[in-house]
Amino acid sequence: MGSRFFLLLLVMAGLVVAFAPLPVQPIAPLERTFRIEARQFAYSPSEFRVNPGDTVTIQLVSTDVVHGLYIDGYDVSVEADPGQTTALTFVADKAGSFRFRCNVTCGAMHPFMIGKLTVGTNDWLVRSIGLALIAICGFLPLSSFLSNKKSSENR
Amino acid sequence: MLHDYAGHDVAALVKRSELVSRILITVAIIGAVGTPLFIWARTPLIHARVAENGGWSPDVIHANANQPFTLHLTSDDVVHGFAVGQMDMQSVDVLPGKVTDITLKIDKPGIYTFFCTRWCGLNHWRMRGTIEVGGSSSAPGPAAVPMYVTLGLDIDAPHEAPVIPINRPSAISGQKLAANLPIDRSIDYYLKHSPYQVFDELSTTSLTESQRWDVVASIWQSNTTPESRANGQQLYTQNCAACHGENGAGNGVFADDLAAAGESSIQTMAGADSMTMQSPVDFTNPIRMLGASPALLQGKILRGGMGTGMPMWGSIFTEEQIWDLIAYLYSFQFDY
Amino acid sequence: MNRFELTRLPFIKKILKSRYPQLAVFIVMLVGYIFAILAGLIGSPVGSRNFSIVFVWIAWWAVLILVAVPFFGRGWCAVCPIPLPSEWLQRGAVLSPPDKKPKWFNLRWPKFLRNIWMQNISFLLLALFSSVLLTTPNITGIVLAAMLVAAIGLSMVFERRSFCRYLCPVGGFIGLYSQTAPIELRIKDKQVCVTCDGKPCYNGSENGYGCPWDVFPGGLTRNTYCGLCMECIRTCPHDNIAINLRPFSADLAKPSTRMDEAFKAFIMLGSSMIYAGVLLGPWGTFKDAAYNVGTSVWLVYVIIFLAIIFIILPGLFALGILKTKSALPLKQRFASLATALIPLGLMFWVAFSLSFVLTNASYIIASLSDPLGLGWNLFGTANAAWQPLLTTILAPAQTLALVGGLIWSARTAQKAADKIKTSSIPVIAFCFMTTLVMMWLLL
Repeated sequence: MGSRFFLLLLVMAGLVVAFAPLPVQPIAPLERTFRIEARQFAYSPSEFRVNPGDTVTIQLVSTDVVHGLYIDGYDVSVEADPGQTTALTFVADKAGSFRFRCNVTCGAMHPFMIGKLTVGTNDWLVRSIGLALIAICGFLPLSSFLSNKKSSENR
Repeated sequence: MLHDYAGHDVAALVKRSELVSRILITVAIIGAVGTPLFIWARTPLIHARVAENGGWSPDVIHANANQPFTLHLTSDDVVHGFAVGQMDMQSVDVLPGKVTDITLKIDKPGIYTFFCTRWCGLNHWRMRGTIEVGGSSSAPGPAAVPMYVTLGLDIDAPHEAPVIPINRPSAISGQKLAANLPIDRSIDYYLKHSPYQVFDELSTTSLTESQRWDVVASIWQSNTTPESRANGQQLYTQNCAACHGENGAGNGVFADDLAAAGESSIQTMAGADSMTMQSPVDFTNPIRMLGASPALLQGKILRGGMGTGMPMWGSIFTEEQIWDLIAYLYSFQFDY
Repeated sequence: MNRFELTRLPFIKKILKSRYPQLAVFIVMLVGYIFAILAGLIGSPVGSRNFSIVFVWIAWWAVLILVAVPFFGRGWCAVCPIPLPSEWLQRGAVLSPPDKKPKWFNLRWPKFLRNIWMQNISFLLLALFSSVLLTTPNITGIVLAAMLVAAIGLSMVFERRSFCRYLCPVGGFIGLYSQTAPIELRIKDKQVCVTCDGKPCYNGSENGYGCPWDVFPGGLTRNTYCGLCMECIRTCPHDNIAINLRPFSADLAKPSTRMDEAFKAFIMLGSSMIYAGVLLGPWGTFKDAAYNVGTSVWLVYVIIFLAIIFIILPGLFALGILKTKSALPLKQRFASLATALIPLGLMFWVAFSLSFVLTNASYIIASLSDPLGLGWNLFGTANAAWQPLLTTILAPAQTLALVGGLIWSARTAQKAADKIKTSSIPVIAFCFMTTLVMMWLLL
């Protein structure tokens, strides 16, 4: 009975970690501009961080062939030819970590031309580490419970 | 012998199914190989690749005057574009792995240049091919002799302005000053003189140096239109900014690569001074720009070279496009 | 023991017992396979618009790693068309039983190669060139063709499916991970096999061929080397072969002690982590190094790749279990406990592939209409735009896969440790640490 309760407790903890909203420190939104250079097959800078609510402008500068920049989750994109800097402005209203990637075929490794935008906290990384910790901490007692159950079934 | 256990009928049945299976597999293999090969062999595509990998393939297209012909264009690597030079046509994008069809009709026989319209690397401008338009309807007239040739300008010679303005010349203040001056406002005068030459000729007036520069700016303004400068800006953005920079300062995204290419050519070709200046020209530099006449700039754009990586644009731009471009280039010096 | 015999259902039994349904699938697959080779060689060099890349590395890979392997084990091997031409040649027949006298050399596979080291090597060879292979149609076409040719060549020299069993770079890891699948081919009654005359399941009969995978079904305890080719269902005169539904990872309860399999687990685990970092990470330097095959940077990449797989990961693992109490020598403990890495590696691959597949799945729609990039528009979808799918559920799904994989592997570690009476803690700690690294790389 104790193990059953423990299992329930673990599942509850897991659900909380997986779905509870993360605490947000209120930070006044800013307007931020990033100049991102694109080449075959990388962005520079390839990682940048903003706060939730910021108005973000990305100036995309292509230094070899036509490239694009598409942000997963935000579903916004911009395309730039060499010599023609273009800008993409959006409000970073979704928290978490998002891959941005080239959406204009630019050669062989195009599908892997990837960068990373983090808005506030990378919440799924935090949650997944939390869940992994819960899984490991709860594992020993839980597994003995499982094996007890199994042996009683077999009987 | 194998099927004696089951009797004659079953053996025959097994054999028939075996035969049918073998035929099916063979047909499937031949079909899977043959069908795509057959269709592939009958699809004449024009492949676009970056110049380092061969550019256009084929790079010579044959056509007949006054007869429409269709090209099937595809790119094998990155985004390219297609347009025929001196036609003032809307370019089409040639996208990787997609086929773009374009139907053209060229009236006059002759040799035309087609070129890539989307920047595809340092050697983008080398991506050119020719369309040979045959036909006897009308023999091609003699090509117009460009102005720099008739004027006998040496477009490779230095053309520095000995004096440059302290402040950026303003056409608006120049207009008022120029109102009462006996100035040649003809287009011919504008084309054949550098801003410095006009400034120098104005030395007979009582104007201050900065006022004289303002008058020069006003002359340059009055010989161009906002439309032509806007058109020039568009051409500049698409064709020039990658090397000369979006703000004209010679610091485009390829400037460093060009400089590096120049360096390495110096190392490999000892003493070849002509290869030393690979870096793109800075249009915001008044010493060079104010010493150059529109005719001189036209020559440079038409022919290219000058010991730099400057491409030859004569077969690409129409004459009007080049004048528009030049009109825009001077706006890096003058306030209009 | 928690089994449900699928072959008890007359419908399923009929389909498996007849040769024709499988042959029909084989022929369709072979057409697709040959078309993929051809598309790679003559189609557009742009991977995202070429059937060979889109259907092999996006569509097939997605089906393989997300569905076929986790749920059907070696289910792919049951329909893979590679053996079709080589077995025709080897047997001199497609359906009819072969002549008693073998057509070719029909040699036994050399004893010292009776392990999966060759498969470990063939997988690594492809893995080191993967950035080029995954993105360049003609390389994919050449590799697919080479696999077909190798299978045909080996079928003339050696008996049975020696390519599938000992060389296929894909077959190696499918076999490893098939142990986790909830499906198995097993005998129903051991006694029947013991008294069975002539063992037609292994030696063949007028009803079918002897096991192409060189396995005696009567001795099957694990899925690893059973290719689900269904021949023994057809040849068994006593109707003693069953396909069972069973709990996931049932085979892992009896850990293997083979070093080749243990290293296969490390190779797969390490590769998934390296791919996650190199291909899906934001670091351009790694991508350059991985792509520019033959340059000195690529050599550094190769050295790091191999070091992670053969030194760093196994080294950390061995260090962890070095001091644990056990009656067994380190080598055996190492091999047994590496079993825990099988579910972990599978879920790493699932998490990695989810991202890669969902991002690029929309290419399938366009490529269906224009498989060679020749400007066709068979179904009117040739101009379908690229659009990543389900980006909002990607991170939660990856989290689920990784945390699930961690729990699964920890449980497996515990069982394996119980079996050889040693502590599972270091193994669980290893799984936990690698999971954290994978989370950091992917999320």
